[in-house]
Amino acid sequence: MFALGALVLSASMGALSYFTTRHVLVSDSDKADFRLAFENATSVAQHVAATATIVQTLTKVTTPNSHSLLEERGTWYERTFDLTQDDIPVSLRSMVINHSTAASQTYTLHGSPQIAIGIPIKSIHGAYFEVFNVEDLAHTLSVFALGLFVAGIVTTALGAVLGRWASGRSLRPLAGVSRAAVAIAGGELGTRLGSTGGDPDLAALTNSFNRMVDQLQERIEREARFTSDVSHELRSPLTTLAASLGVLEGHVESLDPPARRAVELLSADVRRFQRMVGDLLEISRSDTGSAEISLEEVDPAELVRRAVAAVHRSLPIDTPPPTVEVDPAVSGTHLWVDKRRFERVMSNLLENASLYGGGATAVRVTPGNGSSIRGHSVRVSVEDSGPGLPPTERAKVFERFYRGNAAFQRGAGTGTGLGLALVAEHVRLHGGKVWAEEAEGGGARFTIELPGQPAEPDDELAEGDGAR
Amino acid sequence: MTPETSRNLDAMASRILVVEDDERIRSSMRLALEGEGYEVDEAANGEEGLEHFSGHPADVALIDLMLPGMDGFECCRALRRQSAVPIIIVTARSDTHDVVAGLEAGADDYVTKPFVTKELGARIRALLRRVRPADDEPTVLAFGDLELVPEEGALRHKDGTEVHCTKTEFRLLCELASSPNKVLSREQLLDRVWGYDYFGDGRLVDVHIRRLRTKVEPDPAFPRHILTVRGMGYKLVP
Repeated sequence: MFALGALVLSASMGALSYFTTRHVLVSDSDKADFRLAFENATSVAQHVAATATIVQTLTKVTTPNSHSLLEERGTWYERTFDLTQDDIPVSLRSMVINHSTAASQTYTLHGSPQIAIGIPIKSIHGAYFEVFNVEDLAHTLSVFALGLFVAGIVTTALGAVLGRWASGRSLRPLAGVSRAAVAIAGGELGTRLGSTGGDPDLAALTNSFNRMVDQLQERIEREARFTSDVSHELRSPLTTLAASLGVLEGHVESLDPPARRAVELLSADVRRFQRMVGDLLEISRSDTGSAEISLEEVDPAELVRRAVAAVHRSLPIDTPPPTVEVDPAVSGTHLWVDKRRFERVMSNLLENASLYGGGATAVRVTPGNGSSIRGHSVRVSVEDSGPGLPPTERAKVFERFYRGNAAFQRGAGTGTGLGLALVAEHVRLHGGKVWAEEAEGGGARFTIELPGQPAEPDDELAEGDGAR
Repeated sequence: MTPETSRNLDAMASRILVVEDDERIRSSMRLALEGEGYEVDEAANGEEGLEHFSGHPADVALIDLMLPGMDGFECCRALRRQSAVPIIIVTARSDTHDVVAGLEAGADDYVTKPFVTKELGARIRALLRRVRPADDEPTVLAFGDLELVPEEGALRHKDGTEVHCTKTEFRLLCELASSPNKVLSREQLLDRVWGYDYFGDGRLVDVHIRRLRTKVEPDPAFPRHILTVRGMGYKLVP
């Protein structure tokens, strides 16, 4: 676009310069030639009238780049034989000789441009002709035209380069805005547009864009903080509740049956309330980006066995323990995990199985398919023999407070509604993934896959101190 | 006699100082802890807690980190300056730097609000446990120019000068020194010293090891006795 503009502009400027210059040069040259021719004609007329021979006279007035001819009553005189009357255009000759009018004509002779000027001299009933070679002028003009042509091309090229640069420069902020918007949509709320380099128009855009993101960020953070604050505020009364209830539970034997039943109901729901507040705090930490993960190097088989055993202890006594099957291919693989979070993942998955799937039947540890340079990933699956999950529910169960359809309503009502959402959060913090599918036999299978190597291990044992 | 009653009798003499600004939480904790058989002293802020401790030393101090005026960290440090008493800090969150900062201020362990009374009871009991060396163990464990006498709970240089350490630090050192040159995993140390299972917080071990090094290593930055074994745990080299 810019190149085209530059081409048109430079071409028209070049053409204008050329024709103007040409016109000026040519007319100047014509005028000068005319003047000279007139002077010469006058001089020739005088000399011829006086005495000297015509040829001598012509020799006197001739300049190096012109030829003079004299016609007197039909007879032609010329200084040299280079140029005769036949070399002067007929039209000019008849105009000057027959009509006694001074005239000039530009024409080409022997391939070079000439201007012939004819001046009638009445005193001798003749005419003076002078033919000027204007090859120099033509040469000058062609050099000039070539110069203009080259200048035109250079201008076009420069225009193209400059145009590209200028448009890039003026569009760069927009590209920046686009990138920033994508980053913000992707959750990087700290993204802002940088300095505009002093362009006031861009500064306005940048400022309003940044102000918008500020407000957006503030709003999102305020909402996340609100959840966090509410959960924090709930902790104090909850601590009192739990401690006092603990005292009551210690004296439950001495209570009347209705009071005892009331204490039992109270303690079940206070525990659930505590877990809910704990889960809310945990999830709000993820939302405010203040979750911290402390990774340790562990043997996946031992980790899973320990977690299953620890979780099983807290489940109702009559719950049969799930079998733990470790694929031999996993042995020797090490994982980097936050043990506290991993225990919560296992406990939430096992609790989920116990609430909706009639209890977990098997926990399997298998190699994942992500065995890249980052190390071997490991999958842990928890299976139950319950009704399973319809395909449409499989992604939704990881949503917060997702209740599912009527067939999956909680019975005892001891879940927090955040269990699987937290599983997804914990696994995400580890850089892993989680999904639900159908197990053999129709139950549900929840699988987590953890990467073999974390981005940055951050524990004391990983630092070492030079001693082995 | 059931194990339950024997535990309560054991705890009968133990005195717990609770430093907590929320009056309701304080009262309910007193009730719960008294129900477990402990004697409970209450303090509403750090200054009061320290003052009370000077007059009536407790066996375990429970300090909330968020206190008005002098904060829980400062209270920990001040208490640690005058006593080796086991300290449990009460934190809002377990995954913050608060835990590590509290441990570095001298705390032995922590609980996270809202906690279950049973959990708190377990933490207190673990800290009150005494070091009981096995019969076949030597009565004096030595490494470098240090001597460790589990029976007396004493750590001293060969020239007789005492090295002051807390009960938890001492027990950790005993565990390491009684199996010299053997690597003990963090899980093993957590179990033996703090009574935690596999999922206990490894930072407890790390912070205590760091503190121990400042007390027993000639140059804590380049330890010669208490060594880290990458990916495995710690070991003591005499």
